Amino acid sequence: MNVLLAVLWKDLLSEWRSRDRVVSMLLFSLLVVVIFHFALPPGPPAQAQALAPGLLWVATLFAALLGLNRAFALELENDALSGLALAPVDRGWIFLGKAIANFVLIVVVQVVTAGAFGLAFGAPVLAHPVGFALVLGLGSAGISAAGTLFGAVAVRTRFRELVLALLLLPLLVPVLAAATRATTVLFETGDLDPAPLRLLAVADAVFWISSYLLFEYVLDE
Amino acid sequence: MLALAVALTGAVWALLVVMAPMDAMQGPIQKILYVHVPTAFAAYAAFATTAVAGAFYLWREDEAFDRLALSAAEVGVVLCTLVLVTGPIWAKGTWGRWWSWDPRLTVTLLLWFIYLAYILLRSFTEGSERTARFAAVYGIVGLLAVPLNYLAIDLFGGRAIHPENLSRGSLGEGMGAPFAAGIVAALVAFAYLTCLRFQLEGLRALAARRASLGPP
Amino acid sequence: MNATAAVISVRGLTKRFGPVTALDGIDLDVRRGETLAVLGPNGAGKSTLLRLLAGLARPSRGSLRIGGGGDGDASASRALARGGVGYVGHATLLYPALTARENLVFAARLYGVDDPAGRAGSLLRAQGLEAVAERPAGEFSRGTAQRLAIARGLVHDPAVVLLDEPFAGLDRAASERLLERLRDLGRSGRTLVLVTHDLGHASALADSALVLVRGRIVHRASAEDLEPARLEAAYLARVEAAS
Repeated sequence: MNVLLAVLWKDLLSEWRSRDRVVSMLLFSLLVVVIFHFALPPGPPAQAQALAPGLLWVATLFAALLGLNRAFALELENDALSGLALAPVDRGWIFLGKAIANFVLIVVVQVVTAGAFGLAFGAPVLAHPVGFALVLGLGSAGISAAGTLFGAVAVRTRFRELVLALLLLPLLVPVLAAATRATTVLFETGDLDPAPLRLLAVADAVFWISSYLLFEYVLDE
Repeated sequence: MLALAVALTGAVWALLVVMAPMDAMQGPIQKILYVHVPTAFAAYAAFATTAVAGAFYLWREDEAFDRLALSAAEVGVVLCTLVLVTGPIWAKGTWGRWWSWDPRLTVTLLLWFIYLAYILLRSFTEGSERTARFAAVYGIVGLLAVPLNYLAIDLFGGRAIHPENLSRGSLGEGMGAPFAAGIVAALVAFAYLTCLRFQLEGLRALAARRASLGPP
Repeated sequence: MNATAAVISVRGLTKRFGPVTALDGIDLDVRRGETLAVLGPNGAGKSTLLRLLAGLARPSRGSLRIGGGGDGDASASRALARGGVGYVGHATLLYPALTARENLVFAARLYGVDDPAGRAGSLLRAQGLEAVAERPAGEFSRGTAQRLAIARGLVHDPAVVLLDEPFAGLDRAASERLLERLRDLGRSGRTLVLVTHDLGHASALADSALVLVRGRIVHRASAEDLEPARLEAAYLARVEAAS
């Protein structure tokens, strides 16, 4: 538990000092919003609103891929990853610390991106704050768990950015699909649709538990 | 031994497929299903083998399990490619279009992506121990993602058009035998190919070790 | 050598990286309080041996015991063994965005040290780093970073300290200071394993030395063999013969 907090504190403090990760993720996802504007056919605002939930989650996922790679590039700089591996503690706690730090970062980026979607496409992002927060939280949790596990893998391969995308995208289809579904229903009706939320919860449980258990094997050399 | 079994079961399968009654509505194109369904079974078996062998590798740290995982994954990708090729050919003839985002189709496609990524991950990682461990972890999580993918595609439900005759037990008369023979033959073929690949990988490891020792 | 007094005990230790055998059947005992120098040409397996001792890598075969407890095979006892070992690697293991003090506090928390802030303070004092304590580690010179890295390795007051080429990249003055500090460390009753290719440093610091070539121990030098000229003659002869 102590180790979890130590790793979380270290990651967030490093990020706060340099802010390079969160800034580049933010810029990237805002750029995606702008690109989408030009990619969408000109039409009634309702059409853009219908597409907004899916686009929001695609933008989040891509921005997360960027940030997750940096999360471990930072650990490789002075072989600090070995420093973590040296600690006489269960590696699962180290995973939880890093995964929660990534979760915080992804949520921050996503909240700003959602705001941009609200402004640019008139998506009703402020209409149901509690429900929207729940959907954002559940979706980002799945991305950060699998992303932290395979971020640690990808960063020690050749073509690390490419590898992370190839590894993560097929695994995260359920999260992306369920989160988009839940967001769409929420925007259209104001209700929380239980089916996609259930799937998000199951996917989160699967990814958090399996990553917690398997992290030991990716941390060793 | 296995090679003989492959030849034998393959021959029985081919014979039964030829003898199976012609589908009144679909015509001869229906027979492609006798290839499609059994290869799908074998492909799923291959990916399950990869994940289980990966888990055993992490547990026992025996390189043989890693070689088995790799062999099964490669054979699985080939089988899965066959499934993804035969399916659309049949679908074009019967449903009138090559591709539909039917749940089973989509899950199989994602599975194909996952295990191609598995093979790519191996080739992009340096150090055999690290490669084996990274791959095992990905193979395990990849298999866990399969039921999640099913659930996800169910969310967009109502578009499932895959025939369910096998699970409903409502196959037409004379269709059961070729399907059963096909499944047995495909599984035997999978086992045989995986064994060959496994032996090759073992020899390769041996050769690399000998080479690293230099001339005697 | 009496195995019961050994704080590090290694038997038949073998490490393979795929087809390459990096270490081949190493037997080794290090007594409590001893300073052992591990010498050898590049690629001899020196760093691999140290990483195995640190618990950073798993042995392919053989056993490895540190501090009485901990067999090299089971992962739970590996974690236990890691707790008694301080490792100062080739790289500094530091986070450039964190200050010297924050780096030490983080390391102390990783090892579950009781009073992380207090421990960081006393280590900074001991290494003469108080003046730069609030500066980010990324700005440090090689010598200062190395001192901080050593402080990091000592954060949990380990009985065994493993040092991988600690003199690499240091200028003469920094080398002299480090030599003095390592001597003090050895006198404090700690067991030191020092990987180096500098015979002079080995002569100056070690109680015993061994020479690795291609993953095998080709020479063991006891205290009387460590006289510089003698060590050098033996080293050159063995390395020549083995390669």
